[in-house]
Amino acid sequence: MGRFILRRALTSLLVALGIVFLVTLILDLIPGDPVVMILGQNATAEQVAALRRELGLDRPLLLRYAEYIGRAVTGDLGRSIMTRRPVAAEVAEAWPNTLLLAATAIGIAVALGIGLGAVSALRPNGWVDFGVRLLALLGLSMPIFWVGLVFIYIFGFYLRLLPIGGSGTPQHLVLPAVTLALPSVALIARMTRSSLLEVLGEDYVRTARAKGLSEPAVLLGHALKNALIPVVTVIGLQFGQLLGGAILTETVFAWPGLGRLVVLAIFARDYPLLQGIVLIFAFSYVVVNLLVDLAYAWLDPRITYA
Amino acid sequence: MSGDRVRPDQVSGLSRREFLGRSLALGLGGAALGVLGACAPAATTGPQSQPPAQAQPKRGGTLTIVRPIDAVSLDPTNDTTAAGGWVATNIFESLLRLDYDMSLKPWLAERWEQVAPDRWRFYLRQGVKFHDGTDLDAEAVKISVERAISPQSRAASFFRGIKGAEVRDGYTVDILTEGPYGPLLRAVSTWFMSIVSPAALQKYGQDFGRNPVGTGPFKFVEWRTNASITIERWEGYWGDKAYLDRVIYKVVPEESNRMLALQTGEADMVFIPALAQVGQFKRDNRFVVHEVDGLRVVFFGFNVNRPPVNDVRVRQAINLAFDRKPVIDNILEGNALPATSYVSPGIVGYKDLSQYWAYDPRRAEELLRQAGYSKGSDGFWAKDGQRLSLKHYSPRGRYPKDAEISEAFQAAMRQFGIQVDLQILEWGTLLNKYTRTGLDAELGTLGWTDVPADAHYTLGALFACASIPPNGFNGMEYCNPAVDELTARGRANPDEAQRGQLYAQAFEMMAKDAVLVPVYNTKETIITSAAVKGYRIHKSEYLDWLQYTWLDK
Repeated sequence: MGRFILRRALTSLLVALGIVFLVTLILDLIPGDPVVMILGQNATAEQVAALRRELGLDRPLLLRYAEYIGRAVTGDLGRSIMTRRPVAAEVAEAWPNTLLLAATAIGIAVALGIGLGAVSALRPNGWVDFGVRLLALLGLSMPIFWVGLVFIYIFGFYLRLLPIGGSGTPQHLVLPAVTLALPSVALIARMTRSSLLEVLGEDYVRTARAKGLSEPAVLLGHALKNALIPVVTVIGLQFGQLLGGAILTETVFAWPGLGRLVVLAIFARDYPLLQGIVLIFAFSYVVVNLLVDLAYAWLDPRITYA
Repeated sequence: MSGDRVRPDQVSGLSRREFLGRSLALGLGGAALGVLGACAPAATTGPQSQPPAQAQPKRGGTLTIVRPIDAVSLDPTNDTTAAGGWVATNIFESLLRLDYDMSLKPWLAERWEQVAPDRWRFYLRQGVKFHDGTDLDAEAVKISVERAISPQSRAASFFRGIKGAEVRDGYTVDILTEGPYGPLLRAVSTWFMSIVSPAALQKYGQDFGRNPVGTGPFKFVEWRTNASITIERWEGYWGDKAYLDRVIYKVVPEESNRMLALQTGEADMVFIPALAQVGQFKRDNRFVVHEVDGLRVVFFGFNVNRPPVNDVRVRQAINLAFDRKPVIDNILEGNALPATSYVSPGIVGYKDLSQYWAYDPRRAEELLRQAGYSKGSDGFWAKDGQRLSLKHYSPRGRYPKDAEISEAFQAAMRQFGIQVDLQILEWGTLLNKYTRTGLDAELGTLGWTDVPADAHYTLGALFACASIPPNGFNGMEYCNPAVDELTARGRANPDEAQRGQLYAQAFEMMAKDAVLVPVYNTKETIITSAAVKGYRIHKSEYLDWLQYTWLDK
């Protein structure tokens, strides 16, 4: 296991290095002069020259790349062009908000998704199953910003139960987390249902039933754990995505996370900030994937990584 | 990279209103002001003159404001966006104040005089303290001026005529200019040249923008990035102390949610309201809509060197054949005004020139015939078998309804018999054409705010021979030595009325040459709940003083 983790960590490092390279490359791919684009209408010639030096555009790509890596290792991701604050500080402020939102959303999605999927699989083609499948279809098909706006209208404006947007209290977390969780709930429920139905047809389930175990015991003790492997894959992918900052949800609910920050960085052509955020995205994805692999091994001890 | 996939340009209000990097205007004014002599109006007590008599103002309460985007920085030299100005103009003060009527009033300077063609002397108000308890003195002014004009300052391009500052004595400071520089008083009234605490600069260094210390009626409390900024009444203020205990500026990017927040009472004031809903709020007596004509002009610029629009008659004909009223009424839903000059009313140099583009299709046809065109059986004007057609670039979402008005123009020209091939370009690409590679089309949609509120800025940046790409913003490639001469003479003249006349002559020359198709002038709109009293909206989109605002609840 230790070797496995080490190997995965090394691969992850390579992935991160590749991503940083791509982001460094962006500056060279922009049509025209990136410095003029960044500074806009009111810049003086001195400012253009200074920013060109600061971004290293007077130096070759590979040198710039090596310098970035060298500084990143010491925790220095450069300064944001927009705010002139350290990129590390900007990201460190937004990141916990995104983490909180993503973790809450994935928690809701796992609880509801697996629960609904299991209930649905117990009585395939019954009323409950029909209801859950309909909900799942809706959850997947409705655009998230629209759902968010409808929730805001119902719970924030009409019933006045929850704040319309913002952050700071647990009440502020409810609507964005539920909105963000919906597509994942739908996906996880469908995956759980189909995986469970498959497992419930296996010989060992028939054996368990034959020896007189109650239906819940069969489900929880034998079927569910085996059915969860594809579900965990889906959960991992969903969580990785959520950690990348939910641009629309964060915008609709005025949630100050990485998704909002990345939009601002793109509009402002704030490349140092963008590089820093992309680095965090890549890092999150890699960590989540690692956790998913570990979860496989826990769910099915036959899966080993020698 | 995101849980919900979306192109960044689809994300609500942001791009639409051109927030990032939007530079704002300071405005300035029609009223001529005796600049040479000293002028010291009677007691002023802060940014606002006394509000009109209303109910007795109440002290206390928290005013919550929702706005689409956070400030970039609260360092006046590091943020040229309105989002920064909205907050910072309550924390900081300048030497002079650009009042609601766009005239200049004493503020931290009690009086001033021009002591030499390139030297102005300012006499400071005494007994003024910064929020950190240190004294406002000549040294603080010198430091503030020098950092505003330094290459690190984002506002440096507005202050090119200023050379530096010298301390005369504790409360007297001289500002030196590069030769005669008429617009100096306008320049020092901008919020980019706010007077900041040298002690705080020393203490916070590069983090000053997150720990702003000024002399204004409110002091900084807290900033949660992309969430909220809080300021509170400063009890040590030298003038009339604010009524409000606190002001909280919240970020709400989605415009419909800003309107809902006002309706549920979560917010008392909305910046950049949803234009489509303004009418509905006007009819509802629980709310007050504050409106004033703003300082930005949106226009289509001709590249005057490209045939067929290198013929002035063709440019004039296009101007006369475009009926702007339906565009303003239907597309902008009344939230803009027809453009009446190349700059907005309130800018030094403004003069109503709309006679040069008043809708007159008959005269337009006549001009085209004089230019050798005739209308073919296909309904298009043509010359030597060549159809009159134009390439037109527009951004989308950089200025209110920019692409939509360009499309409306295309339709209007089609009806008149001119073919317009409209291409919507990403803003960065278009900006690069305007400033670097040249406009490779006959027309381009652009918006412009005269930031120092003195038209030498617009004339120099947009229309000077020296500003033709790759050296500047003159994508029109218009070069008229007479215009440059008038600009230079105006800029050297300290008398505001005379300066304005010289600029206006230059604009009139250009209006005759039909360099632009001026379209509309922005309106500034802010909506408050009816409980918000004593508030007044400023023409300049970044000036938002709350000193006399109070809550009746």
